Amino acid sequence: MSIIYVLIPIAMLFVLIAICIFFWAVKSEQFDDLDRQSVSILFDDDKPVSTETKNTESKNTESNDSTPS
Amino acid sequence: MKPLDCFHCGEPVLTDTQFTTCINDQQQAMCCPGCQAVSKAIIDAGLSKYYQFRTEPGNKQNAIVPEELNAFCAFDLVEVQEDFVHKVSDTSTVSLSIDGITCAACAWLIEHKLKHVNGIIKIQVNSTTERALITWLPEQIKLSDILNKISAIGYQAAPYQVDEQELLSKKNSRQFLLKLGLAGFATMQVMMFALALYAGYFTDLELEFRDYFRWVSLIFAAPVVFYSALPFYFSAIRSIFSGRLNMDVSVSIAILGAYIASCIATINGNGEVYFESVSMFTFFLLLGRYFEQNARQKASVSSSNLHKLVPLTAHLITQIGSKDIPAKGLKVGDIILVKPGETVAADGVIIDGRSSLNEAMLTGEQMPVSKSLSCEVYAGTINIEQPIRVEVTAVGQDQLVAEIIRLQESASNNKPRVALYVDSISNYFTWTILVVAALTYLVWKIYWPEDAFWVTLSVLVATCPCALALATPTAVTCATGIFTRIGVIARTPGVFEKLTQVRHVVFDKTGTLTCGDLNIESTELIKATDETQVLAIAACLEASSLHPIAKAFESYRDPNFSVNQSLNHIGQGLSGEVNGHQYRIGSAAFVGASDIRNSKAQSIYLADESQILAKFILVDAIRCDAAATVKILKESGCRVSIASGDTSDHVEEVASKVGIKDVNKGLSPQGKLQLVRQYQTQSHVAMFGDGINDAPVLAGANLSIAMGSGAAVTKSSADLILLGDKLSRYTDAVNVAKLTEKIIKQNLFWALGYNLFIIPLAVTGHVLPYVAALGMSASSLIVVGNSLRLLKVRL
Repeated sequence: MSIIYVLIPIAMLFVLIAICIFFWAVKSEQFDDLDRQSVSILFDDDKPVSTETKNTESKNTESNDSTPS
Repeated sequence: MKPLDCFHCGEPVLTDTQFTTCINDQQQAMCCPGCQAVSKAIIDAGLSKYYQFRTEPGNKQNAIVPEELNAFCAFDLVEVQEDFVHKVSDTSTVSLSIDGITCAACAWLIEHKLKHVNGIIKIQVNSTTERALITWLPEQIKLSDILNKISAIGYQAAPYQVDEQELLSKKNSRQFLLKLGLAGFATMQVMMFALALYAGYFTDLELEFRDYFRWVSLIFAAPVVFYSALPFYFSAIRSIFSGRLNMDVSVSIAILGAYIASCIATINGNGEVYFESVSMFTFFLLLGRYFEQNARQKASVSSSNLHKLVPLTAHLITQIGSKDIPAKGLKVGDIILVKPGETVAADGVIIDGRSSLNEAMLTGEQMPVSKSLSCEVYAGTINIEQPIRVEVTAVGQDQLVAEIIRLQESASNNKPRVALYVDSISNYFTWTILVVAALTYLVWKIYWPEDAFWVTLSVLVATCPCALALATPTAVTCATGIFTRIGVIARTPGVFEKLTQVRHVVFDKTGTLTCGDLNIESTELIKATDETQVLAIAACLEASSLHPIAKAFESYRDPNFSVNQSLNHIGQGLSGEVNGHQYRIGSAAFVGASDIRNSKAQSIYLADESQILAKFILVDAIRCDAAATVKILKESGCRVSIASGDTSDHVEEVASKVGIKDVNKGLSPQGKLQLVRQYQTQSHVAMFGDGINDAPVLAGANLSIAMGSGAAVTKSSADLILLGDKLSRYTDAVNVAKLTEKIIKQNLFWALGYNLFIIPLAVTGHVLPYVAALGMSASSLIVVGNSLRLLKVRL
């Protein structure tokens, strides 16, 4: 049981680190726009602009064009 | 066959395949040239990914008109930029409000469109607040170019005036989030040790370990008590000074009392500890407040976004010619040139030219007023027909608009205060708890002195005001969420209670009960045979005019008709050659018709060289839901009145159509305010308005509602803003408010009931710490759950 005298302070240290990270995240405005950041990973970078775009990506079908709700 | 949906905005395509854009090698149908232009701009910029990413269809585009593009140039004037552009060495930064953002893909699209433009250093688009923060090099690119680029892909960007509410709440929100996060982390930890302590409570934990766990809990709970709970202490101190105790007083006493007592127990190694109750208590309360704060922040952001800054510029006539300067820079005695379609930049007197001016924003009168030499013109009114030269007679604070705004401010300073019943309940409740706790202490002190302190503490913790304190904020948060969904912005706290107390509704006429623009009610054919043809000819003639009448004909334009040599006869009408024939359109006198004056409606005539072809009757159409809304209001027992600045018979006509008996017309802003003051002696009054002339009366009414299309000044003095200009939204809002009130009452009832049940137990010393903690969390969760039922409302 004496091991908890070592383990609990270590756990406290982890919590402290977590709180510091959370504070840093809030202060660097990462919580300001949750809709945007949640999907930003899905957006690729843009294709190079060219007048005749060779289309290699999946075809846009009518189905992914959602109708207004 | 079902019509296709526009690939860009999802509206049905009614033009067949007239407008298409090639997207990923497929021709996609568009509903209008606007959507076509926008989608083409998106594809040309290599951003076709937008169509894959988006989760919502885009906004319907209105083909961009050259006038709008010209308007952007005003933003490049240095003096204009002083108001909203932040300059650091050689870069400038601006925050723009962007209309038309529907989902995160829009934000991505705007960022990628502008990222590679020369001169733009940084662009960040926030899709929650619908704003963009742009940093650019003024040497390389002009602000108007940036605005043009954004409008090319279908969004309207403009600087905005930040609402005071928003300035306050922005900092608060972040502070709240920090405090909430910290309380959350700490509560989790304290709870773990509390579990171990509970286990020890029922079995037997060695004292050494028990004390160790208590010390650890003490350390974890400290930041919660001394940092996260700070807002409650401040608010409690404020309420003590104001003499009315609020819920935060008993909250603060419970938090501090329980924490300090638990510390003493830990140090002495006896008694009970309440660390987990304290942390959880704080966490729950902060959660409620944080949601409330967030809902308020959202509402204030929306109302800031509505408040667009439109730079007012003037053509100053100097010895060497004319130059454009911002209205701020004008001095008394300057001569300015006002072209047709432009806004007059300062109060003054006409010294050259004659024209008619639209003074709707000041008076609510739709029809332009003819003005000639030495007539006064006012800042903010719009010149309709001919260029005029104006000598400036008043600037800044001496102008008529400033007068009205001053009246608004004085009216808002003595706005009747509404006593919120939640405040009074919390006042009594807090007093009761404090008295009960004091009595408990005294009685126990006399009979069982060693337990007195612990029992008193259990009274404070168990009769937790937590559920009471959460009763209102959670319900208000959910209700604000629904308001946002139905397109109503609640700008001030306490709106929900006010909505249910209103017994008298006063409407402005123009722009509130009516749409605020002229429409063709009917066409009488006199010598012509084909209605569409005469409408097309009339629309063609009117195409060049800026008169409100011309707007009524806009939708009848036909590309097969074109006009030559059109002449504008001021105050009378227009003449011109359409497809080779001479036509005249205008008043009865102008075309030579014998007119039976009908004062209730405006009628104009179309004639060719020899005869009169047709008569058009124009009215300012009543909003389609006005009559229904008035009916519902009457059924719910409200008195309904009209207070209009208009003097014509049109007021009575509108009143009879929508079913309002009590009509007051020809009122000045001051007069409207007096009228509402008079009504207020009998009941709570809600006022609807849209123009600057309504601003003072809105500020003075118990509850004020502005239309989303109204003037910015009006919106900043309103409690509620109706987006989309549907009057029926107000009755929806009243229903939501009534439901909210019901939920709040249920919450309070439950919280009081729980407290009444637990107090006797606590006073007699039967409440163990874990029971207190359990009861506390259960009652809070029930309150929150009850409030969440509001979100299921279907309107």
